[in-house]
Amino acid sequence: MNWKIWLLIGCLLAALLIIFPLTFSSGVKIASVAFNSSAAESGLRAGQIITSVDSNSVKSVEDYNQIISKFPLEEKTKLIIGTNEGEFVLFSETAPDITVSDVAYTRIKTGLDLSGGARALVKPEIPVSQTEIQDLIAITSNRLNEFGIIDVSVRAISDLSGENYMLVEIAGSTPAELEQLIGQQGKFEAKIGNETVFIGGEQDITYVARTGDQAGIYSCGLGQDGSQFCSFRFAISLSEAAASRHSTITCQLGYDATNPQYLEKKLDLYLDDKLIDSLFIGRDLKCSKTTQIQISGSGQGVTREAAYDSALANMKKLQTVLITGSLPYKLEIVKIDSISPTLGKEFTENLFLLGVIVFAIVSLIIFIRYRKIKLTLAVILTMFSEAFLTLAVAALLKWNLDAPSIAGIIAGIGTGVNDQIVIIDEALHDVKRSLKERIKSAFFIILGAFFTIIAAMLPLFWAGAGMLKGFAFTTIIGVTIGILITRPAFAEIIKNILKE
Amino acid sequence: METSDRAGSRFGAWYDGHYRKLLFIPLCLFIISIVYIGYFYQQTGDFILRDTSLSGGTSITLQSSTELSNLEEQLQKTIPDVSVRTLTDIQSGETVSYIIESSVASDELKAAVESVLGYQLTEKNSSIEFTGPTLSESFYRQLLSALLISFILMSVVVFVLFRSFIPSFAVIFAVIADIVMPLAVIDYFGIRISGAGIAAFLMLIGYSVDTDILLTSRVLKREGLVNEKIFSAFTTGILMTLTALCAIVPAFFISGLPDSFQQIFLILFLGLSFDILNTWITNASILKWYVERKELK
Repeated sequence: MNWKIWLLIGCLLAALLIIFPLTFSSGVKIASVAFNSSAAESGLRAGQIITSVDSNSVKSVEDYNQIISKFPLEEKTKLIIGTNEGEFVLFSETAPDITVSDVAYTRIKTGLDLSGGARALVKPEIPVSQTEIQDLIAITSNRLNEFGIIDVSVRAISDLSGENYMLVEIAGSTPAELEQLIGQQGKFEAKIGNETVFIGGEQDITYVARTGDQAGIYSCGLGQDGSQFCSFRFAISLSEAAASRHSTITCQLGYDATNPQYLEKKLDLYLDDKLIDSLFIGRDLKCSKTTQIQISGSGQGVTREAAYDSALANMKKLQTVLITGSLPYKLEIVKIDSISPTLGKEFTENLFLLGVIVFAIVSLIIFIRYRKIKLTLAVILTMFSEAFLTLAVAALLKWNLDAPSIAGIIAGIGTGVNDQIVIIDEALHDVKRSLKERIKSAFFIILGAFFTIIAAMLPLFWAGAGMLKGFAFTTIIGVTIGILITRPAFAEIIKNILKE
Repeated sequence: METSDRAGSRFGAWYDGHYRKLLFIPLCLFIISIVYIGYFYQQTGDFILRDTSLSGGTSITLQSSTELSNLEEQLQKTIPDVSVRTLTDIQSGETVSYIIESSVASDELKAAVESVLGYQLTEKNSSIEFTGPTLSESFYRQLLSALLISFILMSVVVFVLFRSFIPSFAVIFAVIADIVMPLAVIDYFGIRISGAGIAAFLMLIGYSVDTDILLTSRVLKREGLVNEKIFSAFTTGILMTLTALCAIVPAFFISGLPDSFQQIFLILFLGLSFDILNTWITNASILKWYVERKELK
């Protein structure tokens, strides 16, 4: 056999190893762990693979749900969760606050439009450089992680006109607070009068209490307009520098005329220049270099429950910006999509069905035209190899295959079939010339078609913030694999078939 | 064999006499398309009807099998520019999902849809996509420049391949016609184009040129009679295009494919259909004319 055919076989074997990893653990993967939950405290993290719960083995999401369906219980119960990173023990009357998904059997990753999730494209309001965008990405990633959103990708993209954007992609689900978390500048300031005592970020704030006795909802009540409200508070620690600022500023204050146990001015808390709360300052805090401060705020709602949830969400957001600090500029969310995972699943199944039908139709047409089983099989083998190798390259480069990418794979196979028809026809006809010469002239046409398709798809890499990159990527990978690997092998196979 | 040869030569004689007149068919279609697109531009201020991803706004895909016949009417009471499309399963004829589009922000459209439906839109039953007006505008401009760059690059490749003006020009003209004609059809039917749709036009540039390269290289590089070379290229090329068309058709019969996907396939389908005309009449006639004049000299 010719080396070109061996090359194809070698590539197919390599692709097999790339797409299907040899070692995979059976179980379910933790997709997310709720922030501040007992599950998070026990050490469970997104990405771990649950293999057992209370010595019952877990092989699928159904298994997991079956075991967990016993919750909620009357009293706190011990739950032992076995994972690939060891065992974790929980005590709770409710089910662990985590979401799980089946472990992937292949390394092929699907894009958001097929797997579901959220995507946001964010543009700074002022023109920024590449390095500034990197700072923005660092703060945003940190913010999302602190908030408990895991399985998120944040990256910079730029487009044809030189604009820089930040793209945030979250797989699986859309967090309700996403828009605020990424769009909000998050400029936190604590002021007494016009003087700033401290701001958000690690420079001024060394510690933020998030759970336990030092953080939580402490009261709920009825507002003046009849709506429900709940108040939260949590403790923070200030740095030395911020504490001495506090001391200097409070030293200049007198006592409140009507309420002499407090100072005359309040500590005003601002988030993005909006007043969120005003706190009385106790008289004993005058001139004190205190590093312990209570931060408070509230949430409103129609029902008590809604007010409670809103207060909790506000607390979480405030804690997040206090930890991560402010972004250096305002942001505009220029695109935000939330794709339903259920719709995405249906898309993937239908795309697979479509792929099978297209394969069948093309094979049938080739067979009807040439009436040769061997030729038809050679075409099917080539089509399959191209699709398979393209998927392997995508898996290797960790490319997320979205709908345009899949359309690109199909288009790539389409040009592949065109090329194969050219090879067969050149080889079968014009018999005055040698077979080698005929194959050579087929390759002139094929190379011409190859370069035009590359030329046509190349600009898509940069246009429109790369949203349609996938289409160009898979088409170019597909036709390149075609020209380098499958087409030469196909020509050899055809030569062998014709010699017989 | 003999009869088919005779029929072939009879067709050859007819073709020799009439191939220049045949050119009028694609030329007329081309002019009609250009005029229609010009008229469309005058009416709407743009060459195409853009969807929300290119004009700014919100698109909600709602999965629902229940009949919501007056959804659009009810939504229009609060949001005047809303439009609703239904996606139906071709086999069962049942509605699978609704695509609701408007230029308003996502919260506003979501609230309006929820109040009409009487239930909440969640991750389980819907997808929501919002594109801001500044992004969609730059998105659109850039895709148009991509289309132009792609076209120029393709032309360069064609000139490098054939190194003579008229044959290269014939290929490039055929590609222009392959873009203009489907565009006129899409405008006529009022189909809203998304970013993926414009990408499909780029794809069309690369895809439709295959048969033109096949034809031109067979005619210019092979020995033999011009007609024979054109006819042999035709048998190969038409199989290529028909295979591609047949491979595209099932996409229209499977419901529940991403919208972007179906649009790409629709544009490829139209483009490849017109490509049959543009390769085997436009390009072939110009090429035959060119070769025969060269032989006379």
